[in-house]
Amino acid sequence: MSAPRTALLVAGVGGIGFFAMSILVLGVWPGRVLEDQTKKLAPAHPLPLTPSEQRGREIYSREGCAYCHTQQVRYLDRDIQRFGKPTLAWETRFDYPHLWGTRRIGPDLSRESSIRSDDWQFAHLYNPRNLVPDSVMPAFPSYFDGAPDRPLQSAQDLLAYLKSLGRARELADTDPALNASASSARREDKHPQLASVSATPQARDLYAHNCAGCHGEKGDGEGPGASGLRPHPANLTEHEYTNDRVARALWNGIAGSAMPAWRDFPASDLAALSAVVRQFHTASPEATPPQQIVDLGRQIYADHCAQCHGENGAGDGPGAKEINMQPTDFTAERPSLAESLRALRNGVDGTPMAPWNTKLSEAELSAVAYYVRSFYTPE
Amino acid sequence: MNTRSEVEHELVFAHGLAAVLLLFVAIGFGILASTELVSPDLSHGIPVLSWGRLRYDHTQGILFGWLGNAFFAFLYYGIPIVTGRPVTSRNLGRVMFGIWNFMIVLPGWALVLAGFSQPLEWAEFPIVIDVFVVLAILLAIIQFLPGFFRAGLENLYVSGWYVVGSLVFTALAYPMGNFVPEYVPGARGAAFSGLWIHDAVGLFVTPMALSAIYFVIPAAMKRPVYSHFLSMLGFWLLFFLYPLNGTHHYVFSVIPMDAQKGAIAASALLGVDVIIVVANLLLSMRGSGLIPRDLPLRFVGTSTVFYLIVSIQGSLQAQMMFNQSIHFTDWVVGHSHLAMLGFATFAAAGGLIHAWRHIPWARYNRDAMEAAYWLLTTGVLAMFIDLTLAGLVEGSTWASGAPWLESVRAVRSYWLFRTILSVPIALGFVALLMGMTTGPRNQPAAEERLAA
Repeated sequence: MSAPRTALLVAGVGGIGFFAMSILVLGVWPGRVLEDQTKKLAPAHPLPLTPSEQRGREIYSREGCAYCHTQQVRYLDRDIQRFGKPTLAWETRFDYPHLWGTRRIGPDLSRESSIRSDDWQFAHLYNPRNLVPDSVMPAFPSYFDGAPDRPLQSAQDLLAYLKSLGRARELADTDPALNASASSARREDKHPQLASVSATPQARDLYAHNCAGCHGEKGDGEGPGASGLRPHPANLTEHEYTNDRVARALWNGIAGSAMPAWRDFPASDLAALSAVVRQFHTASPEATPPQQIVDLGRQIYADHCAQCHGENGAGDGPGAKEINMQPTDFTAERPSLAESLRALRNGVDGTPMAPWNTKLSEAELSAVAYYVRSFYTPE
Repeated sequence: MNTRSEVEHELVFAHGLAAVLLLFVAIGFGILASTELVSPDLSHGIPVLSWGRLRYDHTQGILFGWLGNAFFAFLYYGIPIVTGRPVTSRNLGRVMFGIWNFMIVLPGWALVLAGFSQPLEWAEFPIVIDVFVVLAILLAIIQFLPGFFRAGLENLYVSGWYVVGSLVFTALAYPMGNFVPEYVPGARGAAFSGLWIHDAVGLFVTPMALSAIYFVIPAAMKRPVYSHFLSMLGFWLLFFLYPLNGTHHYVFSVIPMDAQKGAIAASALLGVDVIIVVANLLLSMRGSGLIPRDLPLRFVGTSTVFYLIVSIQGSLQAQMMFNQSIHFTDWVVGHSHLAMLGFATFAAAGGLIHAWRHIPWARYNRDAMEAAYWLLTTGVLAMFIDLTLAGLVEGSTWASGAPWLESVRAVRSYWLFRTILSVPIALGFVALLMGMTTGPRNQPAAEERLAA
């Protein structure tokens, strides 16, 4: 064959023909199958992104988030167990262009909407290492006005977008298996019993790498990530916890706060962490209050506190269900007197616990501060 | 056989120098990005230094800045020889040089850093840049291909086949990969994206690299390739199979299983094709010894071996049993470095140095080139092994159900080692630049006729 005819063949068949074949077989045809599947399975009411979410999506795109975080749960046990049900075609039907990703340095974000709290997301975007000491994610302080609790519009847009991930699927599919994240906090009592162990150096190391970001090296709730969080991370030195209480918090997280769950940790690690958490508190001898203070405290508690915290202080009052966060269970955790008074006077920012200093006298505040500490039943 | 007077030395020189200079910027982005994985607060939250933007610029820089320029440098030397006539226009070449470097690479980098980009692999430059890329490919077709259709040309050497097929294919595939996902959403768009990820590497970089390899080997060996039949067989299988590979980037996804399986089968067959191509190339090199003295020949020979390894690896990692463990891990990053920094870079360097040796006024420093070869070979292989191991560690940590962060902690030492390996690689490229800018000037008498 002469050269020009060969060149024509190469250009026509190799260049044009095989290109056309590939897009028909692997682009156009799969697209039609996916469109049919979308029509069949998509919920009747589409849920496109709001303008703010759309702007957040643009930030997500330009910062290359998709190059470390996929938005595609594969049909594979290892993906399903870690992240949840596989991604369906309709879930990404408003994605121009798609953000599926081909690399995971961080976890998949397909179901991110319900995994983390807003304050966690902001503090984490501001600087991930403040919350997660071993994270390698870039920090994005330029989206904030100098502090994690002062997000600029751009950070709010990005958060809005993150909260849109998986939302439509969640509305359409209420099966709890949809989101398998071991970090999503849930308001449940169920949790494994943890062995009572002692706080070894390895356990302290585990704490330093996973907890100290928020709760601080010394457990005083003043880790580098703490400042942006509402509610503030618990000051572990000011609370006495039962092993069971810590187990519940570790296994389920604290819904309504930035405290995630740690269900992917082996029980032995959780037991070790519980030991570290519990040894931050040092008991000191305390005077027993006079009977009349106890009686006043009981009276105030019954009038004002039991509605949420429950008659027996177990955090199970009739109002507890109506608020977004489990009220403190005083039978399993005992704040110091100072901590108890602080919460009563100032309320607890970021929770339904309101300040009582305008409604109760100093004497009444102290009385009830004493009283709530009497519910505690050590194991 | 024509004489070398029709070779565009000036454009070989310009593209060759631009290739190496822009390569330093491109690997600079990569080195910074890899350092940020080890020391994430290095960027101090400065947006232009943010990991994602550096990552975009790294690969686009390697594709357009380094490989694109290096391949053009080779084409301005090789095409006039293969077609027996000059390229269409030297002035067109100057315009293309300007477009490629000053309308695509430099503004593309700047726009990505400023936050204007596309979150699509091998398509990160924003759409405004893509328009110039399409224009540049069309101009390249006008510049390089008319000679192939010249009446009276007797035979078309296989290097020419690859260039014709590649430029025509890429002129169609580039807009498909860069524009279609902006208008076709989600899973449907991802199907097209998957195709482009593979077309960029398989139908642009690979044919250009093979074109250079097929050119340099017979020129340096001073005898024809082992088998023209195998050359043709390899070409047609590659152009048939490569476009059908793309969906293997989305195995176990919602994309129809038949499409996935087809792509996986095509990926396996592609390995067979590469064995044919590589056998033909290595047989063409027989007698040159394990470490040929001629450096362009040595570069393309090593490229051929990398090509074999990376392709067999590609065939394996597309298979479901394998893919489930290594997909999304650093294994794939190792694979792409072996492909782009190993196979493609060594072929581009071989083609470039071969063409450079024939520029009458250019300098050539053999010792520096020798150093470049060893530094790069060591660096690439070590990085490939390091990232492959990191990928295995990540895959097994994920499969164990351990907390996510365990997989990050487990590979940090591998990442640190990878960053350290950028030292020999960067020094290798410094030596490459020295090899092209120091030493004695080439003697016009060194010109020789091409055996092919």
